[in-house]
Amino acid sequence: MGKIVGGFLVPHDPVMFVVPQAPAEDIRQRMWGAFEECAARLARLEASSVVIIGADHYFNFGTGCLPQYLIGTGDVDGPLDVLPGLKRQPIPASEALAGFIAEHGHANGFDWAVARAFTVDHAVAIPDRLIVDPVRRQGQSIGTIPVYLAAGVDPYIRMQRAIELGGAIRAAVEAAPADERVVVIGSGGISHWVGTAEMGRVNEDFDREIMGYACRGELSAMAALSDDYILEHGGNGAMEIRQWACAMGAMPGARGEVIDYAAVREWVTGLGFVQLFA
Amino acid sequence: MSRNVLEKLMHQLCVDRTVKQRFKEDLEGLLARYALTEDERDMLRRFDVAAMQKHGVNPMLTLGFWSENAPDRHPAAYMKALRGADSGGEVFSAALKH
Repeated sequence: MGKIVGGFLVPHDPVMFVVPQAPAEDIRQRMWGAFEECAARLARLEASSVVIIGADHYFNFGTGCLPQYLIGTGDVDGPLDVLPGLKRQPIPASEALAGFIAEHGHANGFDWAVARAFTVDHAVAIPDRLIVDPVRRQGQSIGTIPVYLAAGVDPYIRMQRAIELGGAIRAAVEAAPADERVVVIGSGGISHWVGTAEMGRVNEDFDREIMGYACRGELSAMAALSDDYILEHGGNGAMEIRQWACAMGAMPGARGEVIDYAAVREWVTGLGFVQLFA
Repeated sequence: MSRNVLEKLMHQLCVDRTVKQRFKEDLEGLLARYALTEDERDMLRRFDVAAMQKHGVNPMLTLGFWSENAPDRHPAAYMKALRGADSGGEVFSAALKH
């Protein structure tokens, strides 16, 4: 039997890599430092696998196939969208557990789309590179399981379904034959407007509302957020709070702690870092 | 619904080098392969990202299409095209000014 031993909710802002010097120095240090703090905390959890929940940005998937949710069960590499300082490379995977999560889901009402060899985009590659890789370099062996939700391209996965999918991940981990220690990472958000006329706007009130739900473990409040509300107050990029909801759904009842937050207009995003405690 | 066809071509123009090359070298020949309306073809010819978004095209795709194919790929030029010619100076994100 496996166990979910912790979780993190983090951003995956590519603009940090494109124009790293844009914000004031104290903000830069805090935000890069928040990723380092997540890595330090991950190291203490002694995880064997991480499930990183991201979303496509109309890059991995085209009009020919738009999965509601997908899991990478085999070889993983990335990012597909190479960035300055973020070159494409193989990502250590956790194939046995990933395959089991897919099989367990298929047997229990969750028809995962499966990627048997998958090049992730920055949604998974950034947290993997900044949070998981530093722990690997310390000698811990951690496999990454990529999960993608439909949060960037419609039809969007429903918030309630994202939460239920988190529950399906938890159920599979707990039913798995191996004694895995699993950490879930919800990657995305918080407020940002991507490619719209409002690009560059950040809404700190919305961001703090979402972090509050995460810290108090308020799944019902997350599920009650309508798409219209999210789009108006958090922008199209904030649809990615589905990834946060999914991670929260894998840890029902868990409380969280804000590691750091800043509304960074220079990086076009409200950057929130939350740890969820099992 | 040709919005879907428009998004199909724009996605290819984000990820497929061959299609991107043909867009540069034989635009009309490329457009003729897709069941687009004349208005939609014109949006592509003019890089009219504002009209595309009004038409329902995903903003991530208009941004990607612009970044990969526009003559001036600078984000500020994209924002000017999206907001109108008089609003280019109002791009308030430092990232978008770089």
